[in-house]
Amino acid sequence: MLQYEFMQRAFLAGWLISLIAPILGVYLVLRRQSLMSDTLSHVSMAGVALGSVLHGNPALYGFLFAILGGITIEQLRRTYKTYSEVPVAIIMTSGLALAMVLMSLKTSLNKSFSSYLFGSIVAVSPSQLIIIAAVTVIGLIFFLVLRRPLYSLTFEEETAAVSGVRVKLLSFAFAVMTGMIVAAAMPIVGVLLVSSLIVLPSAFALRFAGGFISACVLAIVTGMTGMFSGLAASYYTNTPPGGTIALILVMILLCGIGVQRVLRLAKKRRTGKAQTILHQQKHIQLREGVFK
Amino acid sequence: MILCSLRNIVFGYEHEPVIRNVSVDIHAGEFIAVSGPNGAAKTTLLKLMLGLMKPWSGTIQYSSEFTKGSVAYVPQQASSFNPGFPSKVIELVRSGCYPELGLFRRFIKEQHALVEDTLRAVGLWELRSRKIGELSGGQKQRACIARAMVQQPDLLVLDEPVTGMDTASRIRFYEWMRSIVKTQGKTVIMVTHGLDEAREYLDRVIYLEGKEENYNAPV
Repeated sequence: MLQYEFMQRAFLAGWLISLIAPILGVYLVLRRQSLMSDTLSHVSMAGVALGSVLHGNPALYGFLFAILGGITIEQLRRTYKTYSEVPVAIIMTSGLALAMVLMSLKTSLNKSFSSYLFGSIVAVSPSQLIIIAAVTVIGLIFFLVLRRPLYSLTFEEETAAVSGVRVKLLSFAFAVMTGMIVAAAMPIVGVLLVSSLIVLPSAFALRFAGGFISACVLAIVTGMTGMFSGLAASYYTNTPPGGTIALILVMILLCGIGVQRVLRLAKKRRTGKAQTILHQQKHIQLREGVFK
Repeated sequence: MILCSLRNIVFGYEHEPVIRNVSVDIHAGEFIAVSGPNGAAKTTLLKLMLGLMKPWSGTIQYSSEFTKGSVAYVPQQASSFNPGFPSKVIELVRSGCYPELGLFRRFIKEQHALVEDTLRAVGLWELRSRKIGELSGGQKQRACIARAMVQQPDLLVLDEPVTGMDTASRIRFYEWMRSIVKTQGKTVIMVTHGLDEAREYLDRVIYLEGKEENYNAPV
């Protein structure tokens, strides 16, 4: 499989994306913005459609739209403070509506759009690989350098603001970073499933990790496992990579939840048994005391 | 020395003001309680003081020695944060050193010692390796206070800090605050409903009744 150049590119792109997308996912889940990645992928699709209609570079337009969408969501989040999910709904609907209208203007687009919607192994061109590499490097620098203020921001915004974190600026920078990562991940997993690569590994990691750094590391390991096994399975079974990767990640998450439940149950039983023995011993002692 | 001076502050959420023409000075080295009935805008007053909200009218002046990093705030809902937040107690408390450390500086020995001392002071040293989500409400509250204390602020602002604490913990907390005001010259402002219990440790009480008032006279 790896003798083909397109597969080498797909695996390299997958490796890069699964280094950065799960870290973003940890922050998005903790900030209760899991749906943001899904929304931005829809907005990005509108950009791709506009790029095609205007005979520009669709990937570049998609990229710019995702960043713009991120900034708009952040701005609306500040307007709708009480109902933070409203901006997500507004932007997702607007992005999808715009994409549909633009696609209808150019009917030839419909066919090529399936690779954007579901992802494609062959969709990763050398130029896209460069974009993905650049986004990964920028993302890693962003999350590494700003890990302390981002931790404070994620824990509690007002406390962070009082202790000197520039909350508004950092939130907008985070929104831009989210847009960039979503747009970079789109060629592999597709518009409809981009959030699976961002949210599912972090959802798994947050159940098991004891600390913040271990959560990020576990999310990356989970993302990479899903990505590599998904790409390989997609190649051999000729299925869309987005769906295959997402299904594997869902299975990993479900297995994790199952194993955790079994372990908890076993622990409960052990504790229960120990308590029963203690109770019985106490009872015997009590009876002996009464008889004496 | 006056740390923060509020003059003729008016503020509201819709059309009706909840704070009407309030003037108050916060002096360095005071232990102050903000009290009043529900809806009297106690939290709002704190947020205005901290610059988290802008008043409709009036002025808020800060001392030149007053910088962002020298203030620590523990909000009302501090203990109700995301229970799945992936942090150990010690990791959370250590994050109180971030304003001083900036982006790149590493923790030094003194800061590790400060974290340990503070965790011992709030009675959480034994639980330092626990995930914060596994703590009880009162323990979470104490972890948040420890995080604020590790920041070594000149002004400590606490919104209902004793919520969820048992009586012994509350008394220990008031005594601790009193001692840091007295020995280290820190300023502590806290919102509380338990004035009867806290009164003997306080320097001043700002009682909000939701009407035009001047709080600069000693209480």
